[in-house]
Amino acid sequence: MSGGIARGRLAEERKAWRKNHPHGFVAKPETLSDGTVNLMVWHCTIPGKTGTDWEGGFFPLTLHFSEDYPSKPPKCKFPPGFFHPNVYPSGTVCLSILNEDSGWRPAITVKQILVGIQDLLDQPNPADPAQTEGYHLFIQDATEYKKRVRQQAKQYPPLV
Amino acid sequence: MDSEDDMHDANDVESMDDDEGFYSDEMGMDYYGSDDDVDVDFGEDNEGIKRIEASRAENNFIILKESDIKQRQEEDITSVSTVLSISRAASSILLRYYNWSVSEVHEAWFADEDKVRKTFGLLKKPVIQLTSSRELTCGICFEAFHRSSIRSAACGHPFCCACWEGYIRTSIGDGPGCLILRCPDPSCGAAVGQDMITMLVSDEDNRKYSRYLLRSYIENNKKTKWCPAPGCEYAVNFVGDDENYDVSCLCSYGFCWNCTEEAHRPVDCSTVSKWIMKNSAESENMNWILANSKPCPKCKRPIEKNQGCMHMTCTPPCKFEFCWLCLGAWSDHGERTGGFYACNRYEAAKQEGVYDETERRREMAKNSLERYTHYYERWASNQLSRQKALADLHQMRTVHMEKLSDIQREPESQLKFITDAWQQIVECRRVLKWTYAYGYYLPEHEHAKRQFFEYLQGEAESGLERLHQCAEKELQQFLSADGPSKEFIDFHTKLAGLTGVTKNYFENLVSALENGLSDVDSQATCSGSSSKNGGSSKAKGGKGKGTSRAGGSSKNVDSTGMWTCEYCTYANSKHSTTCHMCHHQRR
Repeated sequence: MSGGIARGRLAEERKAWRKNHPHGFVAKPETLSDGTVNLMVWHCTIPGKTGTDWEGGFFPLTLHFSEDYPSKPPKCKFPPGFFHPNVYPSGTVCLSILNEDSGWRPAITVKQILVGIQDLLDQPNPADPAQTEGYHLFIQDATEYKKRVRQQAKQYPPLV
Repeated sequence: MDSEDDMHDANDVESMDDDEGFYSDEMGMDYYGSDDDVDVDFGEDNEGIKRIEASRAENNFIILKESDIKQRQEEDITSVSTVLSISRAASSILLRYYNWSVSEVHEAWFADEDKVRKTFGLLKKPVIQLTSSRELTCGICFEAFHRSSIRSAACGHPFCCACWEGYIRTSIGDGPGCLILRCPDPSCGAAVGQDMITMLVSDEDNRKYSRYLLRSYIENNKKTKWCPAPGCEYAVNFVGDDENYDVSCLCSYGFCWNCTEEAHRPVDCSTVSKWIMKNSAESENMNWILANSKPCPKCKRPIEKNQGCMHMTCTPPCKFEFCWLCLGAWSDHGERTGGFYACNRYEAAKQEGVYDETERRREMAKNSLERYTHYYERWASNQLSRQKALADLHQMRTVHMEKLSDIQREPESQLKFITDAWQQIVECRRVLKWTYAYGYYLPEHEHAKRQFFEYLQGEAESGLERLHQCAEKELQQFLSADGPSKEFIDFHTKLAGLTGVTKNYFENLVSALENGLSDVDSQATCSGSSSKNGGSSKAKGGKGKGTSRAGGSSKNVDSTGMWTCEYCTYANSKHSTTCHMCHHQRR
């Protein structure tokens, strides 16, 4: 896919997001120190779902798009060390729709990615563990797991 | 194919095709009867070859060239497309999912057409109704396009041609997964077949896609495999039973259908895989290092001590000076530790048993390494010898036969016994090579079996040496002679005789090894009484390339119940009084 398409598509994504996006979510391209906008990196916030242990947390997520986007999926990263069974120690999210070899399709939108990750927060996939700590607690010690999740939610209060 | 490839292939064929006759008689002359580019050399050789290989295999495989593969694939696609009344692209997708089995496609389709359609994304009608406006938004780049620039799979999801091209090209670039491509819409399973791909991407990508499709026809089918020889583009369709897996490709490479390693009768696939693993394994290096080196006490690099005194100095930058025996610093050594060149510290510690464990491990590693090396060297030297024999056979066919025919005034067809001999040598070297892998894995404690095995191997080996010697050395005088000589007739008789005898030996060897030396079990009781000493001395005789055959064989007669014919050396059962091979009386 020619280099132009990634930026063109991201500009359209930006427009679509401004027009309409789910409540509590934030997604905007990075602004560089000289004031220019870098469409290839987006800073986002995912709110924990109401009624779950994740509620009250507003989790920062960065999307890194490559020139191959949308043929290839963006890389989605929480802060390093983020506590979740399907998040690598580096913070990278492991999710089927973000895997270029299986679930990714070029027509998946930024909105679908963010909502997908929000779903993943409260519904981890034990078949695909990405970190030891989160996985073991999730499997072996539900009480401690819930405690850690609620603790983490408090670490990421709303930005207002 | 570009011209360079062409040249390369042509060379390959030229240098190899001489042994085709030998290896691939069963590849089916009929099948290639009309082809004139590869099997030119078959000609008259074919008869003799049939004799050699007839007992082995009869048409248990077919070699497929690219054109054959294409033709078969096209036929299968046509068949499915006609019977199911679906497009060729859709038929191809179904066949790909059902491993190119036409019958399985039919079965699944007629059992539940809707289910098959749904599973593999072959939709009957679009799942979305597009608005009737003239402009549509591409689902990938989100830009508006005129209807005419929008393409969709059967589902109707609209994407622009540029985005389609990018999507398909990425998928093709990622590998054969492009053969099961679906619509770019995340919730849609509609299949994207070759018809759309042809329409949307460059010629180069289309070529790649066709390549993957062709490869899939071989790789996804249980009855076909690519020839594993480097650079060979033929495929093999195996139609035989489980009895004989040996396959010979048109490129002259002989391999085992089951494990795709080089042909390895009489050894079974699992032994071969263990052996090959062992040959390449790092473990052997580790064994060697363990047995022959000690780590520097300071920098831990392994050091081999190949000569000199116990005063070691590690190489820079470490430069640590230490004692080889006790691995202590050299500065601690002197008169009081027993002089510079003996180490009392070591002797004392050894007496206390401190060093016993490590020493023992070293010793064991060294022994097992020596055992392995013994078998490996012989395996490898037979391998080399076989390659040399292949080259000699080629030389014989291309150069010497004509020359000899002139000198001896005999038609070349009368000299075929010479190439027969060489073919036999090549085959025997292959078998003999693998018997060393067999020997390595034959359990040490099964003395009777080991004796019998080493006897058979020794006999086969010495028989082969005689044949090789005769074909190589004794032929020389006739090649350099000025005219026909009477001795040539004797030579003919001798070489043909040796070829036949050696062939029989090897057939015995192969069948004995293939049935796991089961003949031994019944005789184990009588040979079990033979002293352990006798067994080990014989083992040496067997390994020694059969040089002291006379002495060794009489013992072998006792322990295995076989007797060796003095005339042709064939190993006969003890009950017979005349040689089964040459009909000479037992003496």
